[in-house]
Amino acid sequence: MTRLDFGAVALRLFTLLMMIFLIFPILVTLVVAVNPREFILPPSGFTLDWFKAAWSSQTFLRGMGVSLVLGVVSATLANALALPAAMAMVRHDFRGKAALNLILMSPLLIPTTIFSLALYIWFVRIGYGAGLLPLFVGHTVHVMPYAMRILTASLHNFDPSYEEAARNVGAGRVRTLFSVTLPVIRTGLISSFALCFILSWNDFPISVFLAPPGWTPLPVELYSYIKFQYDAVAAALAASLILLSVVAMVILDQLAGLRRVLRS
Amino acid sequence: MIRRLTPSLSPGLLAIFIFVALPMLWVVRTSFNDLAQGSFIVETFTLDNYTRFLGDPWYLVNTLWFTVRIAILSTAVSVICAYPVALYIARTTGVQRNILMALIMAPLLIGLVTLVYGWIVIFRGGGLLNSLMIALNVYDEPVRYMWDIKGVVILLVYIGMPYIVLSLMDSIERISPYLVEAARNVGASPWTAFWKIVFPLTMPGLYAGLVIVFSLNFAAFAVPLMIGDSNTQMIGLVIYREALLNNDLPFASALSVIMVSVNALILVGMAVLFGRLILNRLEAKR
Repeated sequence: MTRLDFGAVALRLFTLLMMIFLIFPILVTLVVAVNPREFILPPSGFTLDWFKAAWSSQTFLRGMGVSLVLGVVSATLANALALPAAMAMVRHDFRGKAALNLILMSPLLIPTTIFSLALYIWFVRIGYGAGLLPLFVGHTVHVMPYAMRILTASLHNFDPSYEEAARNVGAGRVRTLFSVTLPVIRTGLISSFALCFILSWNDFPISVFLAPPGWTPLPVELYSYIKFQYDAVAAALAASLILLSVVAMVILDQLAGLRRVLRS
Repeated sequence: MIRRLTPSLSPGLLAIFIFVALPMLWVVRTSFNDLAQGSFIVETFTLDNYTRFLGDPWYLVNTLWFTVRIAILSTAVSVICAYPVALYIARTTGVQRNILMALIMAPLLIGLVTLVYGWIVIFRGGGLLNSLMIALNVYDEPVRYMWDIKGVVILLVYIGMPYIVLSLMDSIERISPYLVEAARNVGASPWTAFWKIVFPLTMPGLYAGLVIVFSLNFAAFAVPLMIGDSNTQMIGLVIYREALLNNDLPFASALSVIMVSVNALILVGMAVLFGRLILNRLEAKR
């Protein structure tokens, strides 16, 4: 056995160990969620009772509704803000472009805790206080840079002569946007929307700071639940969230390539 | 030109200006305000919030220095865990590579609270980790992970590792395999080839990963909130408590300013250190 072989085997084993480290908590949650005897491992069967309990809990359903609305609205707004900016950035060169790009990406550079605190204090300052607006603004601004990044990448592959052609045969600006530009960059838009949605759906720090009473998103609801009660119903809810994230992962991977999307 | 682009750029820029720039500036202003009885903010100009933190050895040791130490420790462990993995994945192809990449990226797209749930099952007193360790004779008595800094560090390593793997892979994939082959052909051992060729060329990726993960760890608040306890007073958690539980917004603002400044100082230090490292290597090669 040469030293090289030994090194290769060690590398392989170490990687395997690390993969177990990464996947273990996810697997544990999935197993606890379908195990009939609460928390007693190894599992002794298969049940969907915990899922039924989780999916019929008023608190969780409410949280899910809030997260769904929040995710859809903030992903839509973030993309609506990012698309024109990304188009201007990709198609034109102008002085200060790099600086403007940095400004648009700046929410990524600020720790989420401080960004949320700043918004919280800001809304108190302008006399708005607690309400829905800060929560939606926080989520939208937080996910906007991700939309910028994906849309910029997909617009780079877009040939503006399609738009010119449409304009030449008499289509107006709006018509061109909706029947040429948006369909062509469809995959970029869908991936951008999916990423923004899943980031908002999973967010904890922003919601903790900004969610008003009665509008608690699911992750915060799950946190307050497991703080006091610790049972397999929470596991079933966590497992549902994992499955949803996996769906988002597959969509993103198919449409845009997961790695390109997650590049930080 | 810029005038023609104003309609497309202004909505996004305006959103950033109103909801990022002004609020951040207002945090700085608030940090000089005072808090009157009943949580009313008094507009004034005082350094009290800063001296309350920076003049108190307890805060300096148990919060600021503690956070620096934990962030450095968990970032370092993340790097040690991530480096070999990145090297290995860079060599794989096809299905194996896809599976490994999916496993690396899964924690990034699954919510933190969801991941924490799995870790709580593992960490609990009679939980999986203790049962496993005792069965393997690593130790005899159950160890406290939950409500303890040990659990917090493990979680931070867990969250940080994928970022470092991804940014290291960006560098590793750019290294031409011919470089290593050439070194081997002129008689370098695999170890020398790695140390003299591959390792220096991964410095940019390592640096990028370190910047992200150190900043994330330094600002961590959700992990110490969910896994930690009163003995894990990381600065992000103290900011959260002061702002939302004690309603002391001026003090929380001052803490935020301190946190961002210290983080920036450490990042500058890292930039200098890495600049030196890379320059020295280049000098040595000449």
